[in-house]
Amino acid sequence: MAHYSEAQLDALGELANIGSGTACTALAQMLGRPVDIKVPSVVALPLGEAIEAVGDPELPRTAVKLDIFGDLDGTVLLVFPLEDAAALCAMLGVDPDSEVGLSALGEIGNILGTSYVNALGQMIGMEVEPHPPVTTTDMLGAIVSTVLLERDDVGDTALMLDSAMFVEGEQCELSFLLVPSADGVADLLSRIGM
Amino acid sequence: MPETPVRIGELVATKDPDEVLVSVGLGSCIGLAMIDRPRGIVGLAHVMLPESPNGAGPLRGRYANHAVPILLEEVLALGARPSGLEIGMAGGAQMFAKTSSIEVGRRNEEAVRLALSAASLSVKATATGGDRGRTVRVHAQGGVMTSREVAGEELVLLGKAVGVPV
Repeated sequence: MAHYSEAQLDALGELANIGSGTACTALAQMLGRPVDIKVPSVVALPLGEAIEAVGDPELPRTAVKLDIFGDLDGTVLLVFPLEDAAALCAMLGVDPDSEVGLSALGEIGNILGTSYVNALGQMIGMEVEPHPPVTTTDMLGAIVSTVLLERDDVGDTALMLDSAMFVEGEQCELSFLLVPSADGVADLLSRIGM
Repeated sequence: MPETPVRIGELVATKDPDEVLVSVGLGSCIGLAMIDRPRGIVGLAHVMLPESPNGAGPLRGRYANHAVPILLEEVLALGARPSGLEIGMAGGAQMFAKTSSIEVGRRNEEAVRLALSAASLSVKATATGGDRGRTVRVHAQGGVMTSREVAGEELVLLGKAVGVPV
C-alpha cells in the first residue's frame, strides 16, 4: 500500500495550489468576475474512504473529465453541483439544459484544466496536455470511482489533489480534482525532489 | 434503519434481519448480491475489477474472480444453501461513453458471470450496462435487492417489497 510522508503531501498540496491559482485566474478572466480559491486538500486514503472524502457519493453532480497525457499520466476532473453548473452557464449567457450548455461546461473544463496542468508542468518541468473534455451528470461516487478505475495501476489507496474555487457573490462553486496514476504520483514527487 | 456501507472492493454477508447492505454510486463497479431468502441470509460484494492472477488482497471484493468464491463461502458459512441462493447483479456502466475504450464495466460484468458459472451459480436478475451510475441495496429482511439510478426510482431486482421500506 502506497504511503506518503507529511512533507510529500504538503509539497503536492503546494503544487495543487499553484495549478488551481492559475485556473482560478483563467476563470475570473473568462467571467469578468472575481473568483476565489480555497486551500487545496490532498486526499491520500484507502479507495473507499478517498471516494467519500470527495463528497457524499450519492449526490448528483455534473463533471467534466479531461485525461491528460505527456510526461504525467492522470485525469483532471471538474465537479459542479447541478445548480452551480447552471449558474455558471447563466453567467456565460447560455442555457444550462441545452447542448450548448453542456459544451460550454466542457469548454470551461478544457480552459481551466489546461491552465492547471500547464502551470503544474512549467513549475516542475513536465510537458503535459489534456485530451478533449467529456461531460456527464451522475452520482459523485460513480464518477470518481470510474475515473480511479480507468488507471491500469490503481492500488488499494488513491491520491487526489482536491481544490475548490467559487465565484464571488454567486452560488457557483466547483471542485477541481487532479487524479494522477500511481506512476504519476511518483513522477511528480521525484520532479520536486521528494 | 442504519445501513451498512459496502465500499469499493469490500464484501459483507449477514443474517441480521435489521441489516441493509448498500453500495452507493456504482459506476463501472458491480454490486453482486447473494440471497437465501428462506434462511434470511444475504451478502453483497462491491467488485472493482475483473481479475487478478494473485491473491485477493486486503480488499476481498476487489476482483471478480476472488469476490465470487469468497462471498459464496461467507453466505454458506452463515448457513445458506447453494441450491436456495438467488443471485443479482447491478452496475457495470460505461460512465464516459464517448472516449473511454477501456470498458471496465462490461469486462467486470463478464468476469462476474464467468466466476459465477465456475461456481455453478446463475444470475436471476440484473441491472447492468448503460451509462448511468447506480446505488444497490440488499435488505436482509425479505431478501430484497434494489437498484436506483441518479434521480431515478428504486427498482426491485430480487424479492418482494412486502414489509420492507424501499
